[in-house]
Amino acid sequence: MLLVRRWQRLRPASNLRVDQGVRTASLESVQQQADDVLVKMENPYKQPQRGCILCNLNVDYKNTQFISPHSGRIYGRHLTGLCGRKQKEVSKAIKKAQALGFMPVTHKHPQFMKDPNICSTKRLE
Amino acid sequence: MPRYELALILKAMQRPETAAALRRTVETLMERGAVVRDLENLGERLLPYKMTKHNQRHSRGSYFLVDFYAAPSILNGLLDHLHRDVDVVRPTVLKKDEQVSTSTTTCCGAPQSKNKSSIFK
Repeated sequence: MLLVRRWQRLRPASNLRVDQGVRTASLESVQQQADDVLVKMENPYKQPQRGCILCNLNVDYKNTQFISPHSGRIYGRHLTGLCGRKQKEVSKAIKKAQALGFMPVTHKHPQFMKDPNICSTKRLE
Repeated sequence: MPRYELALILKAMQRPETAAALRRTVETLMERGAVVRDLENLGERLLPYKMTKHNQRHSRGSYFLVDFYAAPSILNGLLDHLHRDVDVVRPTVLKKDEQVSTSTTTCCGAPQSKNKSSIFK
């Protein structure tokens, strides 16, 4: 009886292993935890990809206004902030509209001067 | 049959003359076997730049948009005819693409700015 009780007491002590093999115990426990927790999934905190402002809009030669008010030059990608496809579509549409006689070439139509400033150009004062 | 769009700029004229010119154009289209679908008037306004056509300098014009279905073989003849018309300042035929929004999957997003914190200020 006493011997059995001693075994019982010894077992929990051996499981603890506080003094000697601390590092090995922690590694094993970490590996066990890793197998449990690390499930392969996509980053749940991933933010949805933000598109450019014209992403879902249809660009037509009849409604384009991304040119400079002074010289009429088309703004580059770093100013308009559009993605590759849309920038190309917009510049093509501008060229088309200018050729057809819908949009002025050397300046911006005064009707559109009061549009909200989408392009990040610093106004020279 | 493919769909085309005729962006027509007519000389600034009185209403009956404009109507006659339009009628002439649409009849030409129909004679050549085109099916006219829609005719839009975009108004008469100042042209974006002065255009010279048929030895005349134009600063004002009336804009019209004609949607039609046609065979591709008639386009050359049609444009030829329109260029010869004295009342027409600038005729252009464009193909109308069916723009379905396929951009939901392929749009890569705004370009990543390095220095600027926000593009819209």
